[in-house]
Amino acid sequence: MKFLGLVFKSARRSKRRTALTILSVALAVFLFSALRAVLQGFDAVSAASSAQRLVTIRSTSMIFSMPTSHGEIIRSTPGVQDLTWSNWFGGIYKDPKNFFGQFAVDAESYLRMYPEILLTDQEKRAFLADRTGCIVGDGLAKKYSWSIGDRIVLQPGIPVYGSQDYPFTIRGIYRAGSSAVDNQSMMFHWKYADERSLVKGEVGWYVTRVADPDRAAQIATTIDQKFANSPYETKTDTEQQFSAQFASMLGNLNVLLGSVALAVVLTTLFVAGNTMAMSVRERTTEIAVMRTLGFPSATIFMLVVGEGILVAVVGGIIGGALARVVVNAEALGLAGGFIPAFGVTNGNVVVGLGLSLMIGLLAAIIPATMASRLKIVDALRRVA
Amino acid sequence: MALIELRDVTKSYKRDAIEIPVLANVSITVDEGDFLGLMGPSGSGKSTLLNLLAGIDRPTRGVIRIGDTEVSGLSERALAAWRARHIGFIFQLYNLIPVLTAFENVELPLLLTSLSKKQRRDHVMTALGIVGLSDRETHYPRQLSGGQEQRVAIARAVVTDPTLLLADEPTGDLDAKSAAEVLTLLQRLNREYKKTIVMVTHDPHAAERATHLLHLEKGTLVEQTRVPAGQVG
Repeated sequence: MKFLGLVFKSARRSKRRTALTILSVALAVFLFSALRAVLQGFDAVSAASSAQRLVTIRSTSMIFSMPTSHGEIIRSTPGVQDLTWSNWFGGIYKDPKNFFGQFAVDAESYLRMYPEILLTDQEKRAFLADRTGCIVGDGLAKKYSWSIGDRIVLQPGIPVYGSQDYPFTIRGIYRAGSSAVDNQSMMFHWKYADERSLVKGEVGWYVTRVADPDRAAQIATTIDQKFANSPYETKTDTEQQFSAQFASMLGNLNVLLGSVALAVVLTTLFVAGNTMAMSVRERTTEIAVMRTLGFPSATIFMLVVGEGILVAVVGGIIGGALARVVVNAEALGLAGGFIPAFGVTNGNVVVGLGLSLMIGLLAAIIPATMASRLKIVDALRRVA
Repeated sequence: MALIELRDVTKSYKRDAIEIPVLANVSITVDEGDFLGLMGPSGSGKSTLLNLLAGIDRPTRGVIRIGDTEVSGLSERALAAWRARHIGFIFQLYNLIPVLTAFENVELPLLLTSLSKKQRRDHVMTALGIVGLSDRETHYPRQLSGGQEQRVAIARAVVTDPTLLLADEPTGDLDAKSAAEVLTLLQRLNREYKKTIVMVTHDPHAAERATHLLHLEKGTLVEQTRVPAGQVG
C-alpha cells in the first residue's frame, strides 16, 4: 500500500501521455463492451427462440416471396400443428430515418404462434376486429409517444406495395414476453397489405409449429422436399437457425464483430505497451537511483506493472461506464425488426474491466522486466 | 577500527573483445568515522571505486569488506537489502525524483523499511531539519535551487542512518557558495553524527574538508594522505 503513492505519482508524470493512453484503453473497452452487447443480443434471440417453431423462406433468399398456396401444402405436412405467415413491409414513418420493423401478419394465427406477444384481451379483440388496425411494441410506442387509438400513416417503402399511403390505427401496445420477440416492431393485417399490393397472394415467410421438437429437422426436410424442383423452392429451418441466418446476412457477425474487437484490443495493447516502454526508458536514471537506494528488482517490476494496470483500469472504468450509459439499442433507436434489443450490462462492464486489467498487465510486462534488469552503473553512466 | 577494507581489488570492463582495466590491485582501509576524499584525474577509477563500495558494481577480482559483510560475495537481492540498510549515496546531479516533493524524495528509502507512516514522517523531518530544509518539505525539485536539491539528496542519503555515506562529486554541479554549504554539511555529518564518508572529488577545496585523501591514477593508488587535524577546513 505504501508504494501506491509512488505508482500514482509516476502515472501523473506526463499527464498528456497518460490521458491519451487512458483514452485509448477507454475507447477499446467501450467498443469491446458495445460489440459484446450486440452479439449477446443476437445470442439471446437465438437462445429464446422456440425449438417448436420452424421458419420457411424461399431457398434463394428471404427477400423473395412465395405464393399463399404454399401455406396449405405446409399445413398438410405430418407433424405440423399450426401455421402462420408474415411479410416485411419496409414502410416509412414520416422520415426514412425513423426505421423500425413493420410486419404484415396473419393476425389471429400469428398471435397464436407467438404467445410471447403480450396483449390484453381487449387490445387483442380490437386489433383482430379492425382491418387497418395495428399493434406496436411498448418500446416503439414510448419512442414515438404513441397511445392506443392514435392514427399513424406509413408510406410504402417497397414498390410492390404501391404508392398510396397506408393509414393505421393503433389497437394495442404489446410487451415482449421473451427475447424471441422484440418490443420495437409493428404488426398489422396481412390482408390489408395484400389487397393493395401490386402482386397478390405473396408471403415472405411461413412459421409452423411442430408437435415434437425432436422431429423438427425431419419435418423441415419434408416441407422443403414438397417444393423441390418447383419455381418456389423453400428452405426450412428452426427459428433458432433462422435468427442466426438473418444475422449471417450481415456477414458472419460473430467473426466480424469479434475480429473488430480483437483488432481494437490488440492495437490498444501495442499502443499502451509502447507508451509504457517509452515512459520507463525516460526514467532510466530514476530507476537506477531507486535501485541504488536499495529497491529490489522485484519491487521495481511491481511498480511499473502497477502503473500500467492503474492507467489501463482507469481507462477501463471510463470506457465501461460510458458504454453502460450510452450503448442501448432501444435508446439509440436501433432495435426493431430483426435487430434485437441489446444493451451493455453490468456483466459486460466487469468483463471490460477485466480486459483493461489484462491490457495494463501485458503492456507493462516487457517494460517492467527491462526496468528490473537494469544494470545500475550502466544506467547512471548513460545519463551522467 | 576499520570499517572499509579493500584487498587487491581489480576492476576491468569489456568493450567488444577488448578488456579495459579500470582499477588494478587496489588495497585500502578506511576507519569508522573517517572522511575520505578520493582524488585523481578523469578516468583514474575514482567513481568505479565508489560504485564498488556502494555495491552497485562488482569487482573483477579481490575482496571488499564493509563492517562485517563481505560485499563482493553477496547475491543481487542480498546486495539490494544491504545497500538499503548500510549505504547513503549522494550523486553529482542530485538525482531527485522530479514528481516527488522534497519530503517524498527523502521518504523514498524508508519505504523499504517496516517503519510506520508516523515514524517515517518523524525520520524525514529530522533529516530535512539536519540539512536545514524543514520548511521546503512540500516543494518539488524544480522549485528548489541546485544547492537545496543537493541538500535534499543528502537528507535522503542520511534518513536511514546508514553505516557509510558515499558522495560522487557532490559539489560538481554547484556554484561556489552552494558547494561550500554542502561541504560544511558533509563535514558536520562526519563530525557531529560520526558518519563515515567517502567522497569523490576533483575540487581541491572540497578535498580540504576530508580527514584523509587518496589519490588514484590510471586505476592505481598513488598516494594516501592523512590531513592533519589543524588543516581540515
